[in-house]
Amino acid sequence: MADIIEARGLTVKYGDKTAVDGIDLRVHRGEIFGFLGPNGAGKTTTVKVLTTIRRPTAGNIVLDGRPLTGNLSAVRSEIGLVQQHIVLDKDISVRENLYCHAMLHKIPRSEIKQRTDDICAAVELTPYLDSLVNNLSGGWKRKAAIACALLHKPKVLFLDEPTAGLDTQSRHMLWELIRVLNRRGTTIFLTTHYMDEAESLCDRVSVISKGKIADTGTPRELCEHLGRTAVEYDGPNGREYRYFRHWDEGKAFYESLGSENAVLRGTHLEDVYLEETGRENAALLKKVLRI
Amino acid sequence: MSLGRDIVRVAMADLFYLKRNVWVLLATSLVTPLLYLVAFGYGLGKGVIMDGVPYLAFMIPGVVALTTLTSSFSSIANKIMVQRRFYESFDELRLCPISCASVVIGKTVLGVVKGMLCGLLLLFLGHFLCAELQINAGLITVMLISCFVYSLLGVTAGLLARGLPTMNLFNSFVILPMTFLCGTMFSLSALPQAAQDIIWALPLTHTTECIRASALGWAFPWTSLLILCLYAVVFYAVSWYVLKTGKE
Repeated sequence: MADIIEARGLTVKYGDKTAVDGIDLRVHRGEIFGFLGPNGAGKTTTVKVLTTIRRPTAGNIVLDGRPLTGNLSAVRSEIGLVQQHIVLDKDISVRENLYCHAMLHKIPRSEIKQRTDDICAAVELTPYLDSLVNNLSGGWKRKAAIACALLHKPKVLFLDEPTAGLDTQSRHMLWELIRVLNRRGTTIFLTTHYMDEAESLCDRVSVISKGKIADTGTPRELCEHLGRTAVEYDGPNGREYRYFRHWDEGKAFYESLGSENAVLRGTHLEDVYLEETGRENAALLKKVLRI
Repeated sequence: MSLGRDIVRVAMADLFYLKRNVWVLLATSLVTPLLYLVAFGYGLGKGVIMDGVPYLAFMIPGVVALTTLTSSFSSIANKIMVQRRFYESFDELRLCPISCASVVIGKTVLGVVKGMLCGLLLLFLGHFLCAELQINAGLITVMLISCFVYSLLGVTAGLLARGLPTMNLFNSFVILPMTFLCGTMFSLSALPQAAQDIIWALPLTHTTECIRASALGWAFPWTSLLILCLYAVVFYAVSWYVLKTGKE
């Protein structure tokens, strides 16, 4: 499958601090690609570099066959971005925001109304078109932001933690929207630290930890890399986890424990994530609570 | 022309915002200059002659000048700083196929429109209160240039400010002293020579000179207009460089 994004040796430094440390990324055309990592791992910085908002300290990026150097206007027209924070102008209406966005992307005036109507119908935003952005709930603000990002028909849509802080209904509403957009041909680059979101939506994921890519593959492949079967049990250092390639191996270990608190189960993406990004926070919490 | 169209594209959201909030924005911008007019113009300056004209006639152009500064600067600087530091919405402009020149000039439009509206309202009020004041094309042009210069200063400050404390510092140590010291309410000849030399370097002094000369029919200070234009070039160049290099 052809890659729509290819990044090699991507490095971003803020002074002495390395936020992104020489990562390689390939995003296939038409897929939903998940970029997973804890807060501060380098997800948003990577998105800013891939969307041309920030220049990398080192490395090369090719987006839809065009290198991100020199005149970026053509590349930018292929990119849609929904940032972590709602960046719409909150003091004007959804319709006015859409109009301004269309103007900034140089969509011909004659097409703006039709495109606005189409996109708002697709994301079910039509009843809220004349509401002030400030008066919308979090989920609808996010939908409005997605509608804006789609107006210029980008080939790749970057969603930076799109469901952070939303309630369950709003999250599922956005998941469905993301699936619809992807079915219509838009490649989705999604950053999240919700594993259920990544497991439910993403064709492939990369896990980033401390600025480096820890693993890449389909959620299933990542689980297999770790071991399909997981056993969790109370060990001398608190809750411990072991992973096994085959169910029988895991079952034998589980039975050898003879503990009521032990659990035998399939490996989840969350296990992969925690193994790759570290369980330091949980360990630290336990240490603090013991004190 | 592409630059002109792109400037309108950038300014569009700010103009929608202005349209929705025009009365609130104008009312809040006009309170301070109106208080100056009442307190200094009528309260303290009644019967006083300054530079050969009644104090009110001397003062109104100064108040119009300082209003072009405060209205244009504050609406732009704070909005850009908040868009950059709190909402991160300024990044959206980077994603659009729009040149840095268009962004810098487009972002001044809100300040220019607001500054002109406030300035014109004060000018019409002043014309009603004081027969010596003339409203003419030269005066309107000078006000327009002045609003543009201070809007550019607002863009520069908005792009460089690291947060609210920095912006407050700039307001307290640059904008506020300028509004009082640049000959807006008294003749600069009353100050010691050293202070005059410093104040002559500030843009509001030249705005005041140009507006006062135009409004009172005095000889026009072309050097001051040139200095204002030079300030515009400097503020534009700094904003453009900061935006182009992503150093904000």
